Amino acid sequence: MSYNENMVKTSFLGNYFTKFLSYFIFIFWTLLTIAPLAWMGYASFKTNEELTISMYSLPHDMFFNKDDEYEVVQPQLNIVYPKKIIKKFGFEVSDYDIINEHLIIIESTSMAPGRRVKVAFLDRSEMPSEINALKNGDRLRVNELPKKYQRQIHWDTVFWNYTSAWVRGGLGGKFLNSIIYTFVSTFFVILFGLMIGYAVSKLKFKKLAALIVGLIGLGYLIDINQLIIPLFLMLSKIGLTDTHLGIILVYSAFGLPMAVLLTSQYIRGLPNSLIESAYIDGATAFKTFIAIIVPMTVPVIITISIMSGLGIWNEFLLVLVMASKEFTKSLPVGVYSFSSRTGTQLGWQIAALVIATLPIILVYFIFQKRLAEGVAGGALKE
Amino acid sequence: MKKIKTRDLATFLGFVMPGLVLYLFIVAYPIIYSIFLSFTNYNPNIGGKWGFVGLTHYIKMFGERTFWFAFKNNMIVVAVSIFGQIPIGFILAYILYRKQVKAANFFQSMVFLPQFLSMIVVGIMWKMLFMVDGPVARIMQAMSGDPTKQFTLMLDPKTAMIPVGIALIWVYTGFYMIIFLANLQKINDSMIEAAKIDGATETQIFIRIIVPLLASTILVSSILAIAGSLKGFNLLFGITTDGLTRLNVEVLPLLMYRVAFNDFTNPLRFAYGAAISNTVVLISIILIMFSNFIGKKLGTDEEY
Repeated sequence: MSYNENMVKTSFLGNYFTKFLSYFIFIFWTLLTIAPLAWMGYASFKTNEELTISMYSLPHDMFFNKDDEYEVVQPQLNIVYPKKIIKKFGFEVSDYDIINEHLIIIESTSMAPGRRVKVAFLDRSEMPSEINALKNGDRLRVNELPKKYQRQIHWDTVFWNYTSAWVRGGLGGKFLNSIIYTFVSTFFVILFGLMIGYAVSKLKFKKLAALIVGLIGLGYLIDINQLIIPLFLMLSKIGLTDTHLGIILVYSAFGLPMAVLLTSQYIRGLPNSLIESAYIDGATAFKTFIAIIVPMTVPVIITISIMSGLGIWNEFLLVLVMASKEFTKSLPVGVYSFSSRTGTQLGWQIAALVIATLPIILVYFIFQKRLAEGVAGGALKE
Repeated sequence: MKKIKTRDLATFLGFVMPGLVLYLFIVAYPIIYSIFLSFTNYNPNIGGKWGFVGLTHYIKMFGERTFWFAFKNNMIVVAVSIFGQIPIGFILAYILYRKQVKAANFFQSMVFLPQFLSMIVVGIMWKMLFMVDGPVARIMQAMSGDPTKQFTLMLDPKTAMIPVGIALIWVYTGFYMIIFLANLQKINDSMIEAAKIDGATETQIFIRIIVPLLASTILVSSILAIAGSLKGFNLLFGITTDGLTRLNVEVLPLLMYRVAFNDFTNPLRFAYGAAISNTVVLISIILIMFSNFIGKKLGTDEEY
């Protein structure tokens, strides 16, 4: 430490110019990194119309919506009704008469007008007579509605991009799939990786162990993307495409090279005496594994979990190729297909991107240090 | 004695087998399958009938312009990482190492972040930023004072790799920064101190001590960069739209995907696609071996 202070004083790096330059470089690069993400964050609260007029202005229209104008419209097949409303009145989307009997449908005249996507539903029984008397094509303002509806429309409008992306992109189910893939596969990566790591570093059969480590190490040279064709053909032959099981099997297998490398290195560093004393006490290899190896390898387990978990969460091509039903698609594939389907609704797309990005940013800030260690460690030992 | 040995072997296999079987089935077997496939005329349209055709696919591939265009784009991606990400990452790491900025942790974590995001999402984000009349175009309009200016680099096959390169640098520079920083921090301070006592200047220390000590790290980084760049798929897939712009930035993995999964009438789609994939793997293995060879010549004692 004293060495460093000393150096700053005497070296030319210590003078103001280099300090200034260093700050300039870092601030510039940090801004460059954050700016697109920050823009995505606040632009997800802007309407399409706002985005067209001014890309960079702060969001306004969706928050200040009391004076927004709405137009009474007739039911249509392409209107998406909230589940709650369908349940309450029990209608099919094609039962126009029943819908008209219970509801007034109003559509925003400023956000995506005429496309029946920014709509609100007014329960006729809760409306004053002058609103009930409105005819198709008549207009009203949000602040003319009962207070309850004003509040509801306010929050619906603020999060409109998010709810639209979530509902229309079916992101809820895909989010769940991503969680299943990530957690189940990571569990198997850790379990099998630890078992192999333990066997090759602490049990006998050194030659066999070296062969196995070498074989699995080959996996470092290749990843899912290069083997997608044979994987697709194989899994279709045994009927595992479009199943959770098939996708989990592939993720688990491709996580093994890293897991075996890190665990075997770590376990080799553990003192033999511990394991031997367990043997002398009559513990089987299996018991030793559960009682001694697993608890002692927690740090490396955490590192592998985060590294392989993030990798699986972000994986794209396998699910794109294997999953043809919505039932098995993961979040990245969902966001991709949503964004290529809704080219005109920029706000929705941005919201979908934020939904996919936010969990990773959270995990990143929690486990930052381990991630840095994992990257530096894994890369150097490769 | 023999009995004990058998039991030990059973234990050993008991631990190794579950993972090993999975690995052999899901990773090792497809590698062989892929090599085999590329030498056949496997036809999925008539129930997978096949016969050996030797090197036909490889010969056809090397004669196609689409292959060489994709190869050229792949080499641009490699160049971007070696001449963009690695030097910038090194500079950033060196600034942090010499403690030239306060709040180093904050800066470090910000620059390090993008690579952990989903590359497909990052790709879509950059596609938005690079829209013809998108955020980047708006900045260009404001700076040039010409409100009709558009961002058209993505639309021209000659220039489409420029915005892609920018996105790639944005994502991966932090990765190299962390690797360099970790290795800079391993350098023994006393060596630098001794050099200072002998009257070495800061520049001399940098060129004579820091760079040689990091030579092997630079080499490892370059290998990682090459291997990673050849395989890159997701970011390029996300940053483009099906059709025109995707063809403009086509790299070998994208070409493989287009051949194998976009044209269901082509009877040779899987066999030919496998040949492309195998070529990617082969090139990356050759490059890695070549780098290792150079590394040995340079006398860096590290093994990879």
